[in-house]
Amino acid sequence: MVDKNHGLPEELLNLPDSDFEMVQAGEIKDEKFKTKPVGFFKDALFRLRKSKISVVSFWIIMAIVILSLLVPSITGYTYTEQSVRQKNLPPKIPFLEDLGIADGTRVLTNRKKSSLEDTNRFPEGCVLEIIREYEANGVPVVDVKIDAYLYAGVPEGEYHWFGTDYLGRDLMTRLFQGARISLLIALLSVVTNVIIGVIYGSVAGYYGGKVDMVMTHLAEVLDGLPYIVVTILFMILFGSGMFSIILALTVTGWIGTARLIRAQFYRFKGREYVLAARTLGTPDIKLIFRHILPNTVGPLITRAMIAIPGAIFSESFLAYIGLGIKPPEPSIGVLLSDGQDVLLQYPYQTLFPAILISVLMIAFNLFANGLRDALDPTRRGEEE
Amino acid sequence: MADEKYILEVKNLCQYFTSGRGRNKLTVKAVDDVSFGVKPAETFGLVGESGCGKTTTGRTIIRLYNPTSGEVFFEGRNVAGPMTRELRKYLTDNIAMIFQDPIESLNPRMTIEEIVGEGLRVRGMKDKAEVRRRVREMLEKVGLTDEHATRYPHEFSGGQRQRIGIARAMIIKPKMIIADEPVSALDVSIQAQVINLLNDLKEEMGLTILFIAHNLSVVKYFSDRIGVMYYGRMVEMARGDDLYKKPLHPYTRALLSAIPEPNPITERKRKRVDYDPHRDHDYSQEQPSMVEIEPEHFVLCSPSELERYRKEYGL
Repeated sequence: MVDKNHGLPEELLNLPDSDFEMVQAGEIKDEKFKTKPVGFFKDALFRLRKSKISVVSFWIIMAIVILSLLVPSITGYTYTEQSVRQKNLPPKIPFLEDLGIADGTRVLTNRKKSSLEDTNRFPEGCVLEIIREYEANGVPVVDVKIDAYLYAGVPEGEYHWFGTDYLGRDLMTRLFQGARISLLIALLSVVTNVIIGVIYGSVAGYYGGKVDMVMTHLAEVLDGLPYIVVTILFMILFGSGMFSIILALTVTGWIGTARLIRAQFYRFKGREYVLAARTLGTPDIKLIFRHILPNTVGPLITRAMIAIPGAIFSESFLAYIGLGIKPPEPSIGVLLSDGQDVLLQYPYQTLFPAILISVLMIAFNLFANGLRDALDPTRRGEEE
Repeated sequence: MADEKYILEVKNLCQYFTSGRGRNKLTVKAVDDVSFGVKPAETFGLVGESGCGKTTTGRTIIRLYNPTSGEVFFEGRNVAGPMTRELRKYLTDNIAMIFQDPIESLNPRMTIEEIVGEGLRVRGMKDKAEVRRRVREMLEKVGLTDEHATRYPHEFSGGQRQRIGIARAMIIKPKMIIADEPVSALDVSIQAQVINLLNDLKEEMGLTILFIAHNLSVVKYFSDRIGVMYYGRMVEMARGDDLYKKPLHPYTRALLSAIPEPNPITERKRKRVDYDPHRDHDYSQEQPSMVEIEPEHFVLCSPSELERYRKEYGL
């Protein structure tokens, strides 16, 4: 037998219409939010602060920047001041010298024993210890540990924390002056690259089609130019200075940024909010800079941050192969290149620039990774 | 010439998309010879399955795409011609659009005030206080509060975002709204809320609405006249009641048979019909054309089919 109620209970079958009412037909009223408004950057900053590595890297970078601004003017030396008598002095740092580290001593080998008596060559008290006595060709010779500062006639109380170079210039002053110049070159070249790349990529990505095709191919042709050759040409044309180096780092450097921005534009230009803005009559320029570009700042900032150590490294590389900036201006690369010539005799001349550039690169890379994670949490841990 | 009684008239509109060149050239007829008219202050529903060209039709009307051929008249002016700055302004001043995806359609980097106020600023309103006042007024109308203006889209629910989208479209006081599936991304209780809001605003501002949807129940509730699209073509067009009582085209019947019944007893008896253009039509001898079978009821059919439809309903 078929159940004529179709399995429904009796009381549900005869409900009067008056028992029903329309839902949500009246006025809509939403409640206030209890939280504070959180924008994109605030949100990113919050995430960035939570990452210890990023915070530490940030402060390391800041410390290096501040040191490079301050140190050259407080050491009491200038980066061009030469003193041939005081060349190649070892590091001497107050307080640390009492512990036997960086105490400004050096070992001289193979000296005639008789010459130790000559106070013109060995001023009083500069010989600290005779390490070895032996004979060479029948002449008694010694290896002695000397106070290099007294030996070179440096007045009491003068310190070269990182030592001096082959022209007797204070290395600490030169190192931080060099860091200043390296950072400046990196910053300027990255900013130029970002500006050119953003404009080029925006136009190519936004208009697409033939415009994009021509622009992309043009960039590819430029990208194919051998970079060292171009750099040498610039050096010949404009002389070896900061301008030539920045130009060399810019000539192909912007292409990556342009590609990134172009891809981002392809990703965002078809989004409904862009269409919505178009249906409101928003002009192209506003669509590009107000609606699409802000959505690309995450990858853009990350990329720029990663490009800075890249530029510092490229600059050092150029300096290293002899295409650096004009002496006596220092840069980290120039110092490394100079230090490498005397690496075996005076390793500290390479050590300090090497430590600085390593710390700088690692800090920038870690900070850029943290920034990327903060700006776009979905890409956490991805490689660039 | 444009018909006087229509505010928007679409005549033989075609929108083809091509890809590739030479031998690989591929043409997709997204909208193929579509004609319809929308009267002032009415709601015209456009239904059809996914990919049938209803969204493309809406977007072509507001010139997000350049039409391949055909004419679109808005208040007697052809707006499908070459794009000029003046035409763009005319179009965007008079027609606004509401989008489907409430998450996608709001820029995540802008506050609600910036999003809703965009239309005013683009129109040269410099006075910040005035923009702010108008934005708040509009937000109030769609049920949001003052304080919401400084928020970012991700802090809102789907229904709220869709209302923000409506506020953005309404603030420029358009004569017509193209609502592109405004409720398909919302759940049913919120759908009612948004539809009712649209209805209220429509009455208050005397709006004409082109309502694009694939949900027949929503369209039936909301629209005065309905056009059914299939594969880029309009297959049937009629007043809402007529379409539901006397569906002629087999595709319309198939669509209607897919609506679930609220009553469980009748729902159990509901039979679905399916539509297969190769089986249901024989166009080898005759070509189909749009015929007005009774006043304001158009159907795409061949002469022999027309005979059959006439007999079935005794027209």
